[in-house]
Amino acid sequence: MTDLEISRAWLVDPLAGREGPGEIVVRDGILEALEWLTGDDATGVTADGVVVAPGFIDLHTHLREPGNEDAETIVSGTAAAAHGGFTVVCAMPNTEPTLDDPSVLAMLRGALIVADVAVRVLPIGAVTVGRAGERLAALGELADAGVVGFSDDGSPVRSATILRAALAYAGALGLPIIDHPEDGSLTSDAEANEGFVATVLGLRGWPVAAEASAVGRDLAVLADVVRDVPGARLHLTHLSTAEGLDLVRRAKAAGLPVTCDITPHHLVLTDEWVAGARRWAWDASGDPWADGALVAGPFDTATRVNPPLRSPDDAAACLAALLDGTVDAIATDHAPHTEVDKAVEFGLAANGISGIETALGLVLAAVDAGKLPLSRAIEALTSGPVAMLGPRVPRYAGFEVGAPADLVVFDRSERWTVTPESLLSKGKNSPLLGMALNGRVLFTIAGGRLAYKAPDA
Amino acid sequence: MSVTVDPGTDATGAIVPSVDVAPESQPVGWHHRHLLDVDGLSASDLDLVMRTADAMHEVLGRPIAKVPALRGRQVTILFYEASTRTRVSFEVAAKNLSADVVNIAAASSSVAKGESLVDTVKTVEALGAHMLVMRHSVSGAPYLAAEVFGGSVLNGGDGWHAHPTQALLDLYTMRERLGSVAGRKVVILGDLLHSRVVRSNIWTLTAAGADLWLCGPPTLVRGFEAWAGRGAAAGRRFQVTTNVDEALRDADVVMALRIQRERMASGLLPSMREYAARYGLTRDRLALARPDALVMHPGPMNEGVEIAPDVAAGVQSVITDQVTNGVAVRMALLYLLAGTHGTRGSSAT
Repeated sequence: MTDLEISRAWLVDPLAGREGPGEIVVRDGILEALEWLTGDDATGVTADGVVVAPGFIDLHTHLREPGNEDAETIVSGTAAAAHGGFTVVCAMPNTEPTLDDPSVLAMLRGALIVADVAVRVLPIGAVTVGRAGERLAALGELADAGVVGFSDDGSPVRSATILRAALAYAGALGLPIIDHPEDGSLTSDAEANEGFVATVLGLRGWPVAAEASAVGRDLAVLADVVRDVPGARLHLTHLSTAEGLDLVRRAKAAGLPVTCDITPHHLVLTDEWVAGARRWAWDASGDPWADGALVAGPFDTATRVNPPLRSPDDAAACLAALLDGTVDAIATDHAPHTEVDKAVEFGLAANGISGIETALGLVLAAVDAGKLPLSRAIEALTSGPVAMLGPRVPRYAGFEVGAPADLVVFDRSERWTVTPESLLSKGKNSPLLGMALNGRVLFTIAGGRLAYKAPDA
Repeated sequence: MSVTVDPGTDATGAIVPSVDVAPESQPVGWHHRHLLDVDGLSASDLDLVMRTADAMHEVLGRPIAKVPALRGRQVTILFYEASTRTRVSFEVAAKNLSADVVNIAAASSSVAKGESLVDTVKTVEALGAHMLVMRHSVSGAPYLAAEVFGGSVLNGGDGWHAHPTQALLDLYTMRERLGSVAGRKVVILGDLLHSRVVRSNIWTLTAAGADLWLCGPPTLVRGFEAWAGRGAAAGRRFQVTTNVDEALRDADVVMALRIQRERMASGLLPSMREYAARYGLTRDRLALARPDALVMHPGPMNEGVEIAPDVAAGVQSVITDQVTNGVAVRMALLYLLAGTHGTRGSSAT
C-alpha cells in the first residue's frame, strides 16, 4: 500500500479556498494527516518549490481504446495522465466502436478491470449513434450505466434539432451535453487558424467565426430548452477564440446553465508555432518573420490541432476568461496519434496534440510569467472540473482526511525536457518536443494508489 | 583529373561563378542547402542568383547550350500536380547542366496512392537522386521531404504557399528590362488567396524595393491586407486593393494571375465572364499603366479571362521571356545548390 510523507511543502486546497505551507501524511493509501504550518515551522516554505494539490481531473481525454490501440491504450493513456498529475480522466467516446450504447460501455469497463490502473476513467457517451449526428444514442441506458456526460467530440452535434432534443433528454437525466463548437461549413479542408500566419504559409484558413457561430447556435438552443427542462446543461469544450468566450461570458451573466473549458495549448501557444516560433503567447510580437522568433521549421504537424492554435490575441482572451471565471476548467484534449498519422504533409495530418503530460508545464508557464495565480490554475484543474461534472460524480478535488488519497506532488523549481522517451503516452505528437518545462511531477496518488512516481523521487 | 579555376570578380567585386565547371570547385557564397521558400533569402542571396542566372543566360545563347557542371549528378523531378511548363523547364535546366534527370509524375496524393511522401522520398534517394525538385498540392510538403532527403530539395511549388523559382524568374525578367525594380510600381492582379506565385513574389519584390501593389476581387484578396499591415511594420511594404484602376495607374509592371474554374464552384466568384469584365487585363485597362509597362503572366493563361489575347501577345508582353529566363534561373539554382549540398553525404553548414 502507498505510504508518503511530504513535510514543509506548499499545499493548495481549492475546495477549502486555502493555500500555504503544510505537510501531509499518506498511510496505506489513506490521507492520514494534513497540517497547515504556521510561525517558525512555515519559514522558508514558498509556492516556488514543492507543491501538493488534489489530483487533477481532465474533462477531455482521448484514450483511443477500444479501436485505436496503436495510438493509445487505457494503460498508456492513464500512465500518461498520472505523469501529468491527473488522477481522473473523462474519456471521450470517439472510439471504434463509438461509445453510443451500453454494450460498448461494458466493453470499456471490462478493459478497465483488466488494465487495473490507479487513475480513474469516467466515460462520456456519444450524443448520437456513431456520432453521425442523426439519431440520439442510448442516452438513458448510458446514464444508468454511469456515463458522466454526452459528446460527439471530434465533431459538433451537427443538427440544432438533435442538439435541442439531446439537451432536454440529458438534462432530465442530470447530465451535460459537451459540445465541440465548430461550424463545419466554414472549416472544410481548413488547416490553420485564419489570420496572418496562415496567409503567409498558404494554409487554408480556419476562421474564428466557425467557433463563434457554433457557440451562438448552441447557446440559443440551450436558452430555448431550459425554459422547459431546468436541468439542461451545456458544456462547451476547448474554446479558443475571444469571440466564442465572450458569447459564453454574456450567456453566463444572463443566467444560462453553460460551462466551458480551454486547453493548455490554446492558453499558452499560438499559431506562430505553425510558422516555427517557439515562444509563449504573451511574448508574441505579431510578426515572427520580422523579429527572429522562427527557431524551428514551419509546417510541423505536431502543431496541427482542432480547434487550431489561434492568434496571440485569442490566447490572451483565453487567459482573461480563465481569470474572470468565464472558463470553468482547463481540459487537455489529449489527442495521441501514431507517427503514421502525423509524419505526412501538414494538410493531410491528423488533428491533435498529445497534451496530458505537458498540461501542468504549460499552465505553470503562465503562472511563472505572472499571468495567472497558482491557486486559480489549480482550481481550473480540480474544483472547476468537479463542479462541471456535478453531483453524480464522487467528490474528488479536495483533501479529505481519512479518505483514500487523491493528490499530486510536483516541484516548481525543477525543469524537465519533453522528449519522445519522457512521454508515457504512445502519442509523441507534441509541439513541445525538445523544450524544457517548469514543474516536474514527483508523485501522483489516485484513489489511494501510487499512480506515478518520478524515477528519482 | 580536377581543374581548379579561380572565380572571376566583376566591377563591384562580387564573385561571379564560372558556370562551366563543377560548382563545388569554387567558392560562390551560397549557403542554403535547400530552396524551400524565398523568405530566407537575403539581398545578397538574391543578387547572387541574378548574377548566376546571367551566366546561365549566356550559356543558353551558345550554339550548344550545355555545360558539364552537374555531370554525374542525378536530379529527380517529383511532381504530385500536373504541370508542363515548370516540369519541362526544370528538366531542360538540369540537362543543360549535364545532370542525369529522372522524372516522376505522381498523379495522385500520397494518401490515395498508398505510399507516404516520406517513403517515396527515401525511395528516390535510394535510387540515386542527389537533388529533388518537387511540386505538391499541399502547402509545406517540401519541408517534410527536406527532413528525410539526404541531398538538396528544390521547391517547384507547394500548395498556396511558395513558388520560389517563379518569383526569382519574375524578378530576373523585371531586372532584365528595367535594370532595377527599386521604386518601380509592380502590380500583381488576380486570385491572391490561392496563389503561391504571389506569396513568393511578395518576399522577393519587397526585398528588392519594388512599389508592390496586389489587386483582386474581395473574396480573393482575403488575408493580404493584414499581411501588408505587418509587412509595413517590418519594412516590407506593399499595398492591397480591390480597385483595379487604382492599382494599374502608372504601373511599370503588370502581372496577371490565372483564375481557376473551381473558384466559381466554391462560391468565391460569380462567373468567369464577370471576372473578365471587372478584373481582366484588357488593352483599355493596360492604358492606365505607363506606356512601356511590362506585361507578365506565370502561365498557363486563360486568354480572354484574366488577360486579353491582344495584351498577352502585345509588344509590352514579356511572357515568353519569362519562360526562357525560367530555364536560366533554374539552372542557376540547381548549380548553386549543387555547390553547397548537392552531393549526398555532405554535411550541412
